[in-house]
Amino acid sequence: MDPIRIYSPEGAVGRPTRALAASPAVLTGLRLGILDNGKPNAAPLMERMGEQLAQRMNLELVGVFRKGSAATPCEEPLLVEIAESCDLVLTGSAD
Amino acid sequence: MSEGPQVAAVEAPAGVEPEIELADASPEALLELFEARGWGDGLPLVPPTQERVERMLASVGGEAAAGEVVATLPPRFGRATRHSLAVNAVLAGCPEAVFPVLVSAVRALGDPELNLRGVNATTHPVAPLVIVHGEVVARAGFNAGLGTFGPGNRANATLGRAMRLVLLHIAGARPGDGDASTQGQPSKYAYCIAENAEANPWESYPRSQGVDAPSAVTVYCGENPHNFHDMENSEPGPILDKAASVMATLGCNNAPISSAEFFVVLGPEHAATLAGSGWTRRDVQSYLFERARIPAGEFRRAFEVTVRRPWFEALRDADPMPITDHPDNIRVLVAGGPGKHSCVIPSWGMTRSVTLPLEP
Repeated sequence: MDPIRIYSPEGAVGRPTRALAASPAVLTGLRLGILDNGKPNAAPLMERMGEQLAQRMNLELVGVFRKGSAATPCEEPLLVEIAESCDLVLTGSAD
Repeated sequence: MSEGPQVAAVEAPAGVEPEIELADASPEALLELFEARGWGDGLPLVPPTQERVERMLASVGGEAAAGEVVATLPPRFGRATRHSLAVNAVLAGCPEAVFPVLVSAVRALGDPELNLRGVNATTHPVAPLVIVHGEVVARAGFNAGLGTFGPGNRANATLGRAMRLVLLHIAGARPGDGDASTQGQPSKYAYCIAENAEANPWESYPRSQGVDAPSAVTVYCGENPHNFHDMENSEPGPILDKAASVMATLGCNNAPISSAEFFVVLGPEHAATLAGSGWTRRDVQSYLFERARIPAGEFRRAFEVTVRRPWFEALRDADPMPITDHPDNIRVLVAGGPGKHSCVIPSWGMTRSVTLPLEP
């Protein structure tokens, strides 16, 4: 059989992806926040991790922030507040 | 292990998808290519050649409108142009007459209220159901009658499949990094029905939603349908009590999310019984709101995290708690053929159905 040409099914990507911020080389003295995704087990897990990190690395634990719903992105004003008050954020997705 | 067929990318003009050269036209070569690239739904496909894609586009304004971005679909944020939709319609085996329905359905996917980002990101098995209304049902050969959910009708099957291919390819909703569903569900292959206008005793569903057009499309993100039958009763109450019993369960996302919708898809015989007793669609919604309830204490024992209106907090443990916070969240539609069966389709939760007029 002869070769044929077909179209790609994907479509172009409509938004450029953003690079993650570089991780800090030294954690000592930085301000740590926790963004709770709203799932039942997220806060207990991340709070415990935050406490351990703060203790071991001498971080300032700013607190736990909670977005409106696990099913929707974090609200922009809350992201701004977190960016202003924290140097590091612990967060996660899923259950 | 195979390394896949030999392929070469060909540069595309603006607004048109890039072309790929495939070693031969066999179904096996196409499947192998798609498997190698992580594309497709696992089933055989129709090669999207230029000739086939142009024929598909001709049903909605042809090449002139091919570059229009109908929606940008997360999580990949792929641009769903009419051209890229036509490519996926060909792959799915769509007849040209159903293509305008696909374009409108994808436009609905882009509505922020539908929350496609969440629909694709969740571990729940949710799938978008396409409901086709009006003149296009007969014109394009959709089955609104016996077996509307399938199988056996080309328009229903391929339109539903094309929606899934659009989600897989353009939205990037591949199981794993683009679709986190723990188990998936069969309706993720194809999920399309049509409203049975002839058997519907009330105003058309789109008109009840304020969409007054000859043809329309609804997209609703939910679970698979859950059947209920009633062969015994000639009064509305006992029939709808069975629907309410399906709805009032802790085992669906409507329970923790009170704003979530249900679709109650009535078979024509049940609809005729209800309407014959003088019941309107609103009466059906009001009765189901009243009857679909769970003791508040039972609900509280089941869920730690909920999204319910504040007034639910005032209910005492013994009070019957409505499964939804308003009768309008109970969407009533007539579809299917002879028989004493109807179904309830629970929601994913944080999503609203969208009804749009069909593409001109």
